[in-house]
Amino acid sequence: MFEVDIAKRHIASNKKGTAFTVLTVAIAVGVIIMSLSISSGSLRQIVQNTVEKNPHILVMPKEGEDYIYLYRNLNQSLSQYPGVMASSPRMVGQGAARYRDQVEGIEFIGADPVSEDRLMQISESVVAGDFSELKFKRKAAFLGVTLAENLGVRPGNDIYLSLRNKTVKLKVAGLIEKGTVKDRTLVYITLDVAQDLAGQGDVVSEVGVKLKDYRDAPDMAEEIRALTAYRVESWQDFNREIARFLGTQSRINILFYGLIFLVSGFVVANTTIMIVRRRTKEIGMLMAMGATRYSILKIFLLENLMLSPAAGLLGIAVGVAFGKAIESYPLDMGSGEMGITRIVLDLRPEFAIYALFFALLLNILAGIYPAYLASGLDPVEAIGSE
Amino acid sequence: MSDDIIVLKELSKIYGNGVEVIALNKVSLTIKAGEFVSIVGPSGSGKSTLLNLIGLLDTPTNGQILLKGIDVSRASPDERARLRNRELGFVFQYHHLIPEFSALENVMIPMLIAGKSKSEARERASEYLKAVGLEDRLKSRPNQLSGGQNQRVAVARALVNHPSIVIGDELTGNLDTKTSDMIYELLRDLNRKINQTFILVTHDMTLAEKTDRILRIVDGKLVCELLRQDDGFRTTELCDLGEDGGKINLK
Ligand SMILES: Nc1ncnc2c1ncn2[C@@H]1O[C@H](COP(=O)(O)OP(=O)(O)OP(=O)(O)O)[C@@H](O)[C@H]1O
Ligand SMILES: [Mg+2]
Repeated sequence: MFEVDIAKRHIASNKKGTAFTVLTVAIAVGVIIMSLSISSGSLRQIVQNTVEKNPHILVMPKEGEDYIYLYRNLNQSLSQYPGVMASSPRMVGQGAARYRDQVEGIEFIGADPVSEDRLMQISESVVAGDFSELKFKRKAAFLGVTLAENLGVRPGNDIYLSLRNKTVKLKVAGLIEKGTVKDRTLVYITLDVAQDLAGQGDVVSEVGVKLKDYRDAPDMAEEIRALTAYRVESWQDFNREIARFLGTQSRINILFYGLIFLVSGFVVANTTIMIVRRRTKEIGMLMAMGATRYSILKIFLLENLMLSPAAGLLGIAVGVAFGKAIESYPLDMGSGEMGITRIVLDLRPEFAIYALFFALLLNILAGIYPAYLASGLDPVEAIGSE
Repeated sequence: MSDDIIVLKELSKIYGNGVEVIALNKVSLTIKAGEFVSIVGPSGSGKSTLLNLIGLLDTPTNGQILLKGIDVSRASPDERARLRNRELGFVFQYHHLIPEFSALENVMIPMLIAGKSKSEARERASEYLKAVGLEDRLKSRPNQLSGGQNQRVAVARALVNHPSIVIGDELTGNLDTKTSDMIYELLRDLNRKINQTFILVTHDMTLAEKTDRILRIVDGKLVCELLRQDDGFRTTELCDLGEDGGKINLK
């Protein structure tokens, strides 16, 4: 394998070119790793803040009915489903809230605080008060922070909640901040009070279901649909925006990575072509001494290949450094629809393997054409070149 | 027939980029194994072109090249690369060493290409560098050596693989008389001992006169052939050695 020796010597004697190639590949790999971990972090954040804070599946009244009547039975059997983590019967509706002379439109959810917390991870969003109070204090309400602000209420104040011609007086027991538009309308109350407001007796309007893995929702929804007469929707159905966003996100990323790949590939190929040009005479000599075309091809491919581990490792370092820098930069993105408040990196160990693989692929692909050029040189012309 | 190591039949090479240049015009020639041949002729007459064809670096436009009785004029690039490595040793008009490699490493390359082990290659390479008088410059790189020293490294590189044919283009061009004589003696010694065939292009008539056979090329044509006989040369045709020196002792 004299090809290896020659390739090694080429690398060692061309420090500038080597550094340039390694750096190009490392930056490409770094940017890919960085954006992979940012988008994976954002994705996780989005899922955490949206999908995981909402029911994965909603079971709704049968066709032609407005309420679920035997909700206790339904809830019982749903909670025993494999893959189901929690289920919570809820009475939801729209009404108005009044405090002094301020009135705001609201969406109320009446539910058992314990199962609701398991379903929605509400306590993570509670910024004032203790959500479990809903269990014991019948006349308590938890308000979205923006709603409370707009009404001008604080915990401890009394507000009036109205639905059609019914009105109840409730004490604000705490505030909820989800970081989404819901903060402007959300009111949590007990199931009892909600049922009172609705005036339909002991019924609920839906049962929310949370799964161990949110991605199973469509399958699970299908299964429940097949077994019952209830209408069933998965989060992909009622959160189309997010589902579409998560779907397109990966496609946009692939396009982006492809572009980075292409650009850096051209840069590396160009450097390698320059190296081949400079060594034309030497290639001719090697051919004169009996090196085959395949050997010449091998020398230049090896030369690129041997740089990939270094480029891959450096790329990981570059990616992590860039990522950390961006992460630490206090970026206020506001309370977006998707619930992203700041950039969070999700650095996964498999990204290191991707990095090395990217580097290898990039080096091989960018090396093939120049190596092929080198191997196709005419020995006499190559030797005679200056 | 088995004695004829190289047979050229009506060999032509025409370069044609717009204007046609007939670099070699229907040259027919037979060289026997163990012959020590020199080729002379004015600049641009086609000497290097002929060597490139014999050395299987270039392909003829017309005609045939038989190497050890086998037609190699249309052999595949890989087959020719293999033959170059096994059968041929080349010393170019300019030494063309690889700049990043030491003298020793440069000489090792043909053996490494042939698949020999590094230790064997190193051993034999130093042996040959010693034979060309460079035993104390093994580690030097081409830019640390003089033109003549580099030329000697190139000679060692051409010989190291024990090729059956050694081709030299002005291989003593950069050397002083003393070193030139030393290299000639080395080649002659190998020629006698292991019956290696030598084909040397030279402008140096003193060197040419020491060989067994002088071929003169003018305008791509073989115009004259002198064969050594006793201490002079004989020719069957009228030979005008012209500018290369007419002082050769003809019988
Ligand atoms: N690649 C080429 N393209 C076109 N013409 C060429 C090419 N190579 C050589 N020639 C021409 O072929 C002729 C023979 O060239 P060659 O190099 O064989 O001469 P030479 O006898 O070796 O000369 P010198 O003694 O100066 O080295 C010259 O006229 C030269 O210009
Ligand atoms: Mg020449």
